[in-house]
Amino acid sequence: MRKNKKRLNKKRINNNSLVDKLAFIIVLFIFSGFAMLTLKNMDMQTLIITIAVPLIFLMSTTLIPKIFFADKLLLSLVNFLCSLGVLVLYRMDPAKGINHAINYVVGLIAMVAIMLVVKNLSRFRKLFPIIGLFSLAMLALPVVAGKEIGGAKAWIQIGSIGFQPSEVVKIMLVVANAYFLSKKKIFYSMAFTGMCLLLLVFQRDLGTALLYYVVTLIMMFVASGNWTLLAGGVIGAGAVAVLGYSLLKRIGFAHLERRLLAWLNPWGNYRDAGYQTVQSLLAIVNGGAFGLGLGAGNASQIPVKETDFIFPFILNEFGMIFGVCLVIIYIIIFLRGIAVAMRCNHRMHSLMAAGCSFFIAFQTFVIIGGNINMLPITGVTLPFVSYGGTSLLSSMGMVGVIQGIASINKRHIMQDELLADIGEGLA
Amino acid sequence: MKNLRSMLRKAALVMTVLLLSLVVFGAYNVSTQGNRWFSSSANTHLRELRANATAGNVYDRMGVLLATTDINGKRVYNPDSNIRRSMVHVLGDRQNNVGYGVEAFMSNRLYGFDTSPLVKLSHALRGEKLKGNDLRLSVDSNLSSRIAKLFPKDHKGACVVMNYRTGEVLSLLSFPNFDPDNITEVTKQDKNRPFWNNATRWVSAPGSTFKVVTLASALQNIKNIENETLNCSGIIEFPGGRHNLLDAGKAVHGDITLRQAFTKSCNVVFGSLALRLGDAKLLSTAAAFGMGDYFLFRDFVVENSSYPKFNRTQSEIAWTGVGQSALQISPLHMCMIASSVANGGDMMEPQLLLREINPNNEVKEQFSPRVYKKALSKEHAQIISDYMYSVVQNGTGTGAIVKGYRICGKTGSSEIDNQEKSNAWFIGFIDEENYPYAVCVAVMNAGSAGKIAAPLAGEIFKAILGVR
Repeated sequence: MRKNKKRLNKKRINNNSLVDKLAFIIVLFIFSGFAMLTLKNMDMQTLIITIAVPLIFLMSTTLIPKIFFADKLLLSLVNFLCSLGVLVLYRMDPAKGINHAINYVVGLIAMVAIMLVVKNLSRFRKLFPIIGLFSLAMLALPVVAGKEIGGAKAWIQIGSIGFQPSEVVKIMLVVANAYFLSKKKIFYSMAFTGMCLLLLVFQRDLGTALLYYVVTLIMMFVASGNWTLLAGGVIGAGAVAVLGYSLLKRIGFAHLERRLLAWLNPWGNYRDAGYQTVQSLLAIVNGGAFGLGLGAGNASQIPVKETDFIFPFILNEFGMIFGVCLVIIYIIIFLRGIAVAMRCNHRMHSLMAAGCSFFIAFQTFVIIGGNINMLPITGVTLPFVSYGGTSLLSSMGMVGVIQGIASINKRHIMQDELLADIGEGLA
Repeated sequence: MKNLRSMLRKAALVMTVLLLSLVVFGAYNVSTQGNRWFSSSANTHLRELRANATAGNVYDRMGVLLATTDINGKRVYNPDSNIRRSMVHVLGDRQNNVGYGVEAFMSNRLYGFDTSPLVKLSHALRGEKLKGNDLRLSVDSNLSSRIAKLFPKDHKGACVVMNYRTGEVLSLLSFPNFDPDNITEVTKQDKNRPFWNNATRWVSAPGSTFKVVTLASALQNIKNIENETLNCSGIIEFPGGRHNLLDAGKAVHGDITLRQAFTKSCNVVFGSLALRLGDAKLLSTAAAFGMGDYFLFRDFVVENSSYPKFNRTQSEIAWTGVGQSALQISPLHMCMIASSVANGGDMMEPQLLLREINPNNEVKEQFSPRVYKKALSKEHAQIISDYMYSVVQNGTGTGAIVKGYRICGKTGSSEIDNQEKSNAWFIGFIDEENYPYAVCVAVMNAGSAGKIAAPLAGEIFKAILGVR
């Protein structure tokens, strides 16, 4: 038994050294990217960020796992995506790059904070029902006092800071649903999610509503193992989509019809409705397999290239092969989160980690699918990379949840090992 | 907990497959359509990309230089303005106003964009521009400019000449055309859209030329139809009366054979044949001829042709049988349909590129003809070819006769809503071993096909054959 465990430990150590090598390569990549921008811009600010971002990356990937237990691979990949976001946004507009770097640091802090909260989850047990009420209240805010951007009314402006409550509520949604479902109160979960969806429809933020719906449905299916529920959910959503489409476009959802048209026939309407999609596809093919090179791209025409359409912008400069790698990175992040969920002893912990992983994965699927015209454009962001403080914060928060669960798992394993050691010692 | 894990595993598998499907979908679309996106007129970046490379020369099949690059990197076209005008929709122009011209659609070869990144890098390091390859096309620029002169002035339309044995396109003209060396604001604002390639990208009802397809379907599905006596009462009435099917000039043909009905282009007989066949059988024959296909030809971007699928009333079906209703076919596709009849049922893929020659004057790639699909059997193709011969000998297409040569053809006058006169179509071919050429002519808003399109096709045949 002891031999086995030693082999296990050895394996883990080797894996860690592999992750260290990976982190080294990532730092090299990010550093050389920024170095190129420094050579191009030749100013102090770029030089500072060239040193700062790789430093943030190194510090966070080495220090966080040292102080708290955290999955290092997951952490380095998430850090890679964030710093890639800083790099690409800085290349688009230095001010946005700096902002994203600040958001990145804030996101890291939020991640650690949420990690610590989740780690001591048992202390907050009484708060769970309140989380539900609180998230509903937050979602109701933009309906009352929101600001309209891109056809959706999902923003709140407080002074100079604007933020999107539906992003923050993502984490609460997963936590609240995990709580209800672990207690087998499936109707509570349905009612709660239903109210969230209703509020999102009032905000006209249908992209986020889709994410909420699908993730909750997956969580319900995983928790109950009920195939009829899943089938009903999918068919119901289809029916609502068809019915809702004909109803909604009459009552102020004019952007819906355009998006549908743009999806079905972007080339027929490439001057107006299909403009975004066509520009996105052109950016990808103009880049080719290897890309035009950082700073040498020609995708500046894509509308909302900082948020919704950052993926084709990246492909334009880094190439399609890099794009495939990005998708694979998202898959690894997702599977890493699922692995954490698999190792849990507790239903609620498992559902929380799984819910967050599915959220990140499905959001990635929806936005990249929209970028390559596989799905209609929904106006959600690419996790970790897209510009937008609240969006980055919520994505990092979800990683925090996964990491927190991972550290609970670790604690359980250590307790088991300790017990086993004591048992052996007694024998 | 155990159950939860197994469900989690399933859900995670599905999500991973979904994420991987992004890669599959993207790779598939880019590989099949990427070049079409890249070369479309929507891609305004093509010009910047081109500035970094020196394009090769473009020659026609006789070796006439159509386009080259001068020392300053400027693109220079043939000095003869008639040749420039007749080649512009095949070649494209400097600003890529004409989407999918050779200069855009084959820019990977012509500008060398498809060379390996290492070669590109070494060029960039040496400060040299990338040098593209020369292309030899199948078009005949002299023939094309002669045909362009024959086409009725001030009419929109298209004309395609292709070799039906190989699919090589000799001439592909769209009217109105323009001079790529003289693009003015007037050209850009012209509501007749001179930039639009009517031969490949304009789809419309082809009128009675579509009876070739109805005829093929009747031969395939109704036994002994050739020897049957058919009746033309001059009208097929439908409930409501608004969509009654009539013959041109309210003619009544009485009892006639299938050959006579085809020769005289009798609407009533072909309308009732379509009703006898039914929508499904007519559709399956039309599909065999390429209707509804997603055309992904190597050398051409062609608008897909479509057979109407919705609101199929009896009158709709009858009208489809005579080439009206919501049928949509491009002139190039009609030319392919004529070619498949001429070529014993084998439809060739239209070919434009003959050879690619690298800067060292070595042949990099030689392109050979490809069969696109088997449209109909050899026997039926022979029968239809015979019928088309009678159309030209003593039917609606006598205008296309060339003495001493076996010319086959079919006319079509299609009526379009809100248009004063009908569109005049003619498809046909020279049934001679040494002159395997098929022609499709479409003149918009021109009147009767027998008076406009058939004589025009006759002149084109004479130009091909070199007779006066």
